[in-house]
Amino acid sequence: MTGGVVLGQEVLVVLAAPFAVLAAMGLAARPRTAPLVSAQLDHVRLHEGQATTSRLEVADLDGVEHIARVALPAPHVATRPAYGAAGSLVDEELPTIVFSPRRWGRRAVGAERVALTSAWAGWVWGPLDLPERGFNVLPQTAPYDSRAEVPQPDGLVGRHRSRRLGSGTEFEGIRPFATGDRLKRITWPVSLRTGELHVITTRAEQDAGVWLVLDGLGDMGVSGGIDGAASTLDLTVRAASALAEHHVRTGDRVGMLVVSADGTRVPLGSGARHLQRLQGTLARVRTEARGVAPDRLDLGAGAGSVVYVLSPMFFTPLVTATATLQRGGGSVVVIDTIGDAMTTRDGDRLELASLASRMQKVERDDRLQRLAELGTPVVPWRGPGTLDTVLQQLARRGRAPKVRA
Amino acid sequence: MATTGRLVAPGTTRPAIALRALVIALPCLALALAIPQVPHWFVLVSVPLSAAAWARTPDHAVGIVPLVLVAGWWAAHGVVDWRVLVVAVLLLGAHLSAVLLSYGPGTLPVDPRLVRLWLRRALLALVPAPVAWLSVRGIDPALAPSWLWLAAASATAALLLATARLTRSGSSS
Repeated sequence: MTGGVVLGQEVLVVLAAPFAVLAAMGLAARPRTAPLVSAQLDHVRLHEGQATTSRLEVADLDGVEHIARVALPAPHVATRPAYGAAGSLVDEELPTIVFSPRRWGRRAVGAERVALTSAWAGWVWGPLDLPERGFNVLPQTAPYDSRAEVPQPDGLVGRHRSRRLGSGTEFEGIRPFATGDRLKRITWPVSLRTGELHVITTRAEQDAGVWLVLDGLGDMGVSGGIDGAASTLDLTVRAASALAEHHVRTGDRVGMLVVSADGTRVPLGSGARHLQRLQGTLARVRTEARGVAPDRLDLGAGAGSVVYVLSPMFFTPLVTATATLQRGGGSVVVIDTIGDAMTTRDGDRLELASLASRMQKVERDDRLQRLAELGTPVVPWRGPGTLDTVLQQLARRGRAPKVRA
Repeated sequence: MATTGRLVAPGTTRPAIALRALVIALPCLALALAIPQVPHWFVLVSVPLSAAAWARTPDHAVGIVPLVLVAGWWAAHGVVDWRVLVVAVLLLGAHLSAVLLSYGPGTLPVDPRLVRLWLRRALLALVPAPVAWLSVRGIDPALAPSWLWLAAASATAALLLATARLTRSGSSS
């Protein structure tokens, strides 16, 4: 416009007049202070599939008309709005971004760029980079329930019925009074009817030591997060999480051994805090190429413990260690976590990758068959009820009379 | 679909694509109003190219190029008829489209409230255009008193100084 006036260009004055208004208004809306921006997540502890909202906190909104924020993409982290871009005028509420980790493990969320714009878009503050925050995403709490009792409960707390009589509350039977019986155990209706003193007997309340052995030596298949395909490690970790939660909630003591390069061992324990510890350990499971399977699994477990070995069973040493554990007298159940990782795809059957995959499958099937011949049940992980039949069979086997040499 | 994927980034919203199209089309349309007159080949080539660059980076200074080229071509021809008003509206429309795009990346959903706000502002900004158009058509400069030019020059200089000062202090802080 100035040019039009100075140069005497009338058309230029007309064309520039609207822009002069915009420029003047933009300059007039100049902010006087510099805002302080930070972002807070609603939650710092998440299971995969859950979501948390990132909320922006701006110390001084004077002169700010619009806020735009864009979350930087992170692997296995979904955002809402899609692509992580949100913006709004500040007279309502500040824009929020919802982060949802789609896979367990270490995830970084919250890295974003924020730009603040003054009225009439005359001034822009930023874009400012906000730092990411990393936290361990816990495995999904897959619905799992089992009505089967663990085969040989050992201990004095928990839900599972014991084969021993004791001072529990669960009814076992009625028998004649004997010397040493507590008077409060006398059942008066039966005693009056029969003319002899009778007492109620109950089962001792016992818990089970449950060990979860995880194969963290390798990961086959592609993980698509909670919404997509599951790799072998995904299945292993999610199954372990479901089993741990089930047994801890039923009062059992649960321990965990992660077989990997930096193997982790969580001793037996119970309660909600112990469950958190187990899930935290699961969230930190890593696979490394240099991982070596042990020759034997040293759990320090008693004879009454149940050991779940969660593995796709690709490594012979782990199979050997499982067989050794079985020979030691424990109740060992192998949970096959191969899933769909070895599903044959259409293509050239003579292709090198296809041949290698089939050879690996043949070897794996052979290992599992040998384990089954040793008496170790092998069940594929199917979620709820996966272990009911197997545990009932093991319990029956445990009750059968044994001949010791 | 693959072609679209190459032209625009994944996740770019439809309103953002429409705004980018406006940023390209409106300056070209403002130039096309000159038909049957054909602008110089340099202008014909430069306007679409610079408008495309502007649509790609709406907050870049390249946006001034198509505006200056179109306005300069119309100014050079000195035609003060109804088309100048339409050109003013078209150039302002291109500018506002770029402003709406510059609030964030193409994946940022265009806020309808923001669009309505800027439409109101555009109407306000257009108010001086017909006034200026009527002035340049109806007032004879030869009849204006001499102090008017002095006052206009002084006001312009004052505005320039104020703008420069505000801009400098803003960038330093």
